[in-house]
Amino acid sequence: MPGSSFSTSAPEALYALATAAARSVVVVGTAKNAGKTTTFNALRAVALRHGVAIAVTSIGRDGEPSDALDGQPKPRVRLAPGTIVALPAGLVPRSPALAILEAGAQSALGTTVFARVVLPTTCEIAGPPTARAMRETIERLRGLGTGPVFVDGAIDRVAALAGGDDAVIVATGAASGATIARVAAVAGDTVARLMLPGRDPSRERARVIVVVGALDGRDAEELLADARDATVVVEDPTRIAIRGALFAKLRAAVDLRCERPLRVVACTTSPVGRDAALAPRALVEAVARATGLPAFDVVADLAA
Amino acid sequence: MNADVLTAERIGLTWLRAAVAPVGAFGRRHGDATPPYGPGDEARAGAEIADVVALAERLDRDGVTRLRAALRAVPEATPIVARARSGDALGDVDFYELGRFVDALAVLARAWDAANGAAAARPPELHALGTLLAPGRDGAGFYLADAFGPRLRAARAALADAEAAVDARREAIAARVRDTIGIDPVGDEFVVLRDVYDRPLPDGVRVVRETPTYRAATIGVVSPERDAALARLSEEEESARHALAERIAREAEAVSRATRALGALDHTLARVAFAQHRGACVPTFADGRIAFDEATFAPLADALTARGHRYTPLSLELRGVAVLTGPNMGGKSAALAAVGFLCACVALGIPPPARSASLPLLSTIAWIGGDGPEDRARLLSSYAAEVVRARDALAGASERTLVLVDEFARTTGPREGRALLVAFVEALRERGVLALVATHFDGVAHAARAPHLRIAGLRMEALDTVQADDLDAALDAIQSAMDYRIVAGRDGEAVSDALALARLLGLDAHVVDRARALNDAPAANPGGS
Repeated sequence: MPGSSFSTSAPEALYALATAAARSVVVVGTAKNAGKTTTFNALRAVALRHGVAIAVTSIGRDGEPSDALDGQPKPRVRLAPGTIVALPAGLVPRSPALAILEAGAQSALGTTVFARVVLPTTCEIAGPPTARAMRETIERLRGLGTGPVFVDGAIDRVAALAGGDDAVIVATGAASGATIARVAAVAGDTVARLMLPGRDPSRERARVIVVVGALDGRDAEELLADARDATVVVEDPTRIAIRGALFAKLRAAVDLRCERPLRVVACTTSPVGRDAALAPRALVEAVARATGLPAFDVVADLAA
Repeated sequence: MNADVLTAERIGLTWLRAAVAPVGAFGRRHGDATPPYGPGDEARAGAEIADVVALAERLDRDGVTRLRAALRAVPEATPIVARARSGDALGDVDFYELGRFVDALAVLARAWDAANGAAAARPPELHALGTLLAPGRDGAGFYLADAFGPRLRAARAALADAEAAVDARREAIAARVRDTIGIDPVGDEFVVLRDVYDRPLPDGVRVVRETPTYRAATIGVVSPERDAALARLSEEEESARHALAERIAREAEAVSRATRALGALDHTLARVAFAQHRGACVPTFADGRIAFDEATFAPLADALTARGHRYTPLSLELRGVAVLTGPNMGGKSAALAAVGFLCACVALGIPPPARSASLPLLSTIAWIGGDGPEDRARLLSSYAAEVVRARDALAGASERTLVLVDEFARTTGPREGRALLVAFVEALRERGVLALVATHFDGVAHAARAPHLRIAGLRMEALDTVQADDLDAALDAIQSAMDYRIVAGRDGEAVSDALALARLLGLDAHVVDRARALNDAPAANPGGS
């Protein structure tokens, strides 16, 4: 692993780190085409190499040959025998046949089906539409197998992470910025938001404000005006609906915390974007610095 | 049985439909296809109600709860079988759903046995369909197992071999990448940094993008053998599905019968649960007469129970048209509603919650009193709404009409209002309808030559000791002191107990005393006869 402080390859190190943290691992991206599915596939490949049967699903819709919105080629999701997969009935491949285990929530593409792969197959994966149904799907996948559960997530649908104890990997890359500095800044902002610290009654300030539901821009302006130096508590980091400078300003002004923190364990970087190609090594190092987390480039086999 | 929105609401018909709603889609379809009983359906209605009562007595109550839970869990199979019958391709999820259907029927049949259901009425099972699916079922799931097609096993083995060969070739290329470049191409693609390795990439590696600092590459293994094996397996699997679907199509009639039976069972069990919970009787059917003993107007009984109060069962005999008087808060409206409710029960094949009942099957129930949403939408005042309803009731009146009149004309001048009500009661009598007319006007029954019934009213001796401190306590005291029974009326005066109730409800004692003095004075009652 060039430039790595790990003795194994970057995918192996990422797999070990994530699966040691939790039974279920959710990969979210800072932007579309940020390398989320590539990271997801790398994790699956490591599991396959080690003979570990895994379970997989997707918060968005993944594995289709090209992106439904922009037509860009996307990595296919190739599933190995023994893998348990949650996907809508409408996406169950006809051949090779899957072993259908059970059925769950409804989605626009049909009932969510839990199935076991018998022969290697390539397919699209999509999860149920609501955060609650997605959470139930993850829990059922955990119950159906003994190995790790990998979820191809979506940054704009992180509400599904609430209430779980998943390990979260943030995928970032050239798709979220034209320069390394910009990509690193976006990653830092995202990770800071998702890693909102948990509530600690012993260290709370004299005034504690509990925000019910989403903390949006208007809430942030009010807090900045009236609640500086207070401890502000949200239910979980997915309730933070503000980004960038406003989030940074609020975080600096108040003691921002949550009832149920998430476990963000690592970042991955993808140097290739539609309009930019960044230097892989410099990118992975910059993202590690900006987030304070281990960062991996699973295709260039880099880590920082 | 026709009943408009206001009537349905006031007599508890809306509540009743919800209370006996089936738990599953089969039952809802059965209900949608089953119109209420009307005149001439007495034998069928009586038979259905008798069956429900018999089942309510036979089946264990918890067992009925379990049966309904089992019914709720039965998945939909008819559309799948219909597709099979029309020659459409079925998928493995369809076969899985059919398996669930078979399992759910078996669970339901066992629940029936456990609830002490009669063998002759046992819910259907679909053993033949279960046998068809059995090779693919290991537990609750489904897999298109090798047994479903004569060449499936061989096709799968060929594909597995081809996949293994591809994996071996891919791993060989990956090993060359590891040995040559020193990186681990674990995923589907990898990046080679030029400052790490800038020479030609190993054979089998395909470059997909180049930049001044790196090359993005994939390991591309082309395998016509694998593609051919996959194509052959696909054909064999489709062939096996087609054959299975054809055999399933032959079970279409059995599935259809089963779903119809489930619908009827769901419909019936909803009524059984109602009867077990409420107590019920098998009524007799009589034209021109409504009679019941110790009946419960269930929506009100539930509301009272929720507030810690007790419901007093009602008994009544009504022939033709009768006038009902009684005190405020004495239950006149509830009595009217109970009459409509019990008639609605038998129209829907529901055992009426009463010790005994003799009820007609009606073509129309009409409530006159107050205004409903459709009246408000037409911007009608309360009085106008009542008059329009009275007009419509008379226009459509027959011997199979029940008219429930709740203080008609109370919002207009008392002299004219009373006169209008007397004339309306006379008109109802002339048309031969069944009607119960609640009013505070004096002497309506006498003037219209109609039987007079009254709510027994406040037991004054019980009120004398009451000193209610707040509204809830006052309401409790009133309920305790009120005799809600319906008894034969006295000629003339319609007792309202209005002043006593006003005192109990906390109106200034001076005001009440002054009102009592005015009331006791001669010619104090401008609305009287």
